[in-house]
Amino acid sequence: MSKWEFRPARDQALSPAAQAISSVREPGLVSTLGVAISTTLSLTYLKLYHGYRAHGVEHLPTQTPFVLVANHSSHLDHACLRNALPLSLRVRTMPLAAGDVFFTSAVKAAMATRLIGALPMWRKKVGPKALAELRERLEARDVGFVLFPEGARTRDGQLLKLKAGIGMLVAGLDVPVVPAWIDGAFHALRPETWVPRPVRVNVRFGPALRFPTASNDREGWEQVLTDVEAAIKALRPQA
Amino acid sequence: MTSTWQALFSIDQAIDHPVVRIVGLTTVSAILLGLAAAWLLGQKKPDLARDIRTRTLTWIALSLLTLGPILAGRAWAILLVCVLSLACYREFARATGLFRHTLASASVVLGILAITFTHIDNWPGLRTGLIAYVPLLILIGAILQDEPKGYVQRCALACSAFLLFGVGLGRLGTLTATVEYRAVLCAIIFSCQLSDVAAYCCGKAMGGPKLFPQTSPNKTLAGHLGALLIITPLSAGLYHLAFAGTPIAAWPHAITLGLLTAALAQLGDLVIGSIKRDVGVKDMGAILPGHGGVLDRCNSLLLVAPIVYHYANYFAGPEIWIPQRLITGGVP
Repeated sequence: MSKWEFRPARDQALSPAAQAISSVREPGLVSTLGVAISTTLSLTYLKLYHGYRAHGVEHLPTQTPFVLVANHSSHLDHACLRNALPLSLRVRTMPLAAGDVFFTSAVKAAMATRLIGALPMWRKKVGPKALAELRERLEARDVGFVLFPEGARTRDGQLLKLKAGIGMLVAGLDVPVVPAWIDGAFHALRPETWVPRPVRVNVRFGPALRFPTASNDREGWEQVLTDVEAAIKALRPQA
Repeated sequence: MTSTWQALFSIDQAIDHPVVRIVGLTTVSAILLGLAAAWLLGQKKPDLARDIRTRTLTWIALSLLTLGPILAGRAWAILLVCVLSLACYREFARATGLFRHTLASASVVLGILAITFTHIDNWPGLRTGLIAYVPLLILIGAILQDEPKGYVQRCALACSAFLLFGVGLGRLGTLTATVEYRAVLCAIIFSCQLSDVAAYCCGKAMGGPKLFPQTSPNKTLAGHLGALLIITPLSAGLYHLAFAGTPIAAWPHAITLGLLTAALAQLGDLVIGSIKRDVGVKDMGAILPGHGGVLDRCNSLLLVAPIVYHYANYFAGPEIWIPQRLITGGVP
């Protein structure tokens, strides 16, 4: 008789405080419910207040794993990307949120994890080792990520230089990277303000990219960055 | 007939019963002893002192969080048992991997909440039904995913979890329907916690052959027996006082119940220990500094609560239970 495979939660041995900021945190019932409710509410808000429309949804993934990437200009971006997915995929999507913004206190971390299901990405400590845990999650095929390769919100509406993190994450893995362009979010919720304006927001998704043969080193990361940047820019609506 | 509000929320006579006073005073003394020991050892053995201090501080929090609701009122005691059941289930689910199956997991949680309602309402008939309905719900619900690979595992884990934490641990909530529920609950919880301490100390102090070397390599047979000998009379004495005025207060019954408590407290520890060794985790959680998870603290209660309930129900008869259904009305 073959042995049953038990797989304890990857963060099972961590204390609650360590779990909240851990890259190996696995969501449970509370997080799933929290994400289901919060994404439904945010999708309703986006549709009503910002006339949110998603184009190119045929390019969206139908199963995990995947990585959604887009330009980053406001705090609405995570919701814009993730809410285009069906609920069953939404609850298995984990946005990679800036650790130094969303995980600085216990309360913030609790909200980020339970309501948004986010994982921290520490911007000052991005390196192959730090991303190894996240890479492993993708290899385990049970989550999808939302990542903004610019690493920060643009302050002037122009695309910033992409950081190497996306390369370190997917180079050598056969994981679909779906590019998108979020249009209008920069004007709807500018980085310096908390009050959103009723500006129309659209998202356009493009065909998925895959990098199974890219090498997991600087050269491979550069290739990933170039391709991803080209794909995102190709989706920008012509002025 | 007392009113529903009074039955659920009355704080009258909270600390009148001798068992409550004994348990309260002993707990406070033990905590003060722990703090004193940590302070005295501070210079000579700082690591040990720190360990003792962490454990004692957690004990303070645990005592307040446990005794507080029990003393405050029936509804709060039932809520405490619900929270404990859910916390234990969560740790079990995360250790075995059941948490990844949302439908099965949600069924267990709903089952625990339904059992909690039967405690608040004092409706044993529905509780008996739930013991059948919830496993049925789990088995049928698990079909809906149309994923037969792993069906047996997730159903078996979910049903076991419901029986252990919803029904078994939930018997503490059932026992709140006794007239002197504070004394009964204090007697059980105190006996179990004392059993943990006694088993640990006796296990370390006494050498000899191990009882279950694969499952519990630190505990010797002599240690188990030693703890049994210590806890049985203590527990019997508490039951003798807690069930005063009923047939169980007689010493033959009290000692039998004490022996069952002492034995099943250790067996409950071994049940969870076996699960941990099978799954390959060291503790069931890490939420209690110095102790592990909630389930690591409650494992002795899992088997003791049901046996006390069934024993009391069988031998003490209907007079120990409050006579009405508090919310839905009628006879329990």
